[in-house]
Amino acid sequence: MIAVLDVALMVLIAVLLVGGAFWMLTAALSMFHARDSLSRINVLSPATGLGLPMIVVGAFLEHLRVDGFATGLLLKTVITVLALVIVSSVASNVLARAAYLSGAPVDPRTAPQDLERAPGEGEQVPHRDDH
Amino acid sequence: MSVVIWVTVGLLGATILVGLFRVATAPDAASRAVVGDLVFFCGVGLIVLVGLLNASAAAVDAALIASVLGILATVALARILTRGRR
Repeated sequence: MIAVLDVALMVLIAVLLVGGAFWMLTAALSMFHARDSLSRINVLSPATGLGLPMIVVGAFLEHLRVDGFATGLLLKTVITVLALVIVSSVASNVLARAAYLSGAPVDPRTAPQDLERAPGEGEQVPHRDDH
Repeated sequence: MSVVIWVTVGLLGATILVGLFRVATAPDAASRAVVGDLVFFCGVGLIVLVGLLNASAAAVDAALIASVLGILATVALARILTRGRR
């Protein structure tokens, strides 16, 4: 019974580690397909919001499998995952605003572009069909 | 088990190489900043994996600090992009 659980845990760890690295590589390759810098910032979020937390959780499970349970390690892992999700979201927001203000070319279909419009100019209708 | 870890290290290394190539061929500075961010997070993943290979718990602390303070690098890049404007 213990041996079966150990094998199941090893499979789970392998899936988490390789799957997380796969998300990172996918994000890097998608950087070639995205057309403007705002899309590239969007493409980054699977890597930092899903790929790296998967690797961190897989590493925690491997430490658990080898060394046994430790409360401090669990706490550090939880803080790391939360920080990755929250920090990368806030950082993407700051970076996207800076990228737009720095005058990097954006896809002309991008809507709304409120940073470019005077106050009281009315609402922009978001783009519907993406062809 | 170490085969899995080495495969993961290989995937992350490939990600860093692809990212650096993209930095070299990126059309504008904002794209370079984004891909540089991706390379940074790949480095964090490599720290975690090296901690697994050496069975050292200090790598967990390093990854924790890197993920909490990683926003500083991004915000610094954002300020550089806008030449100091907010």
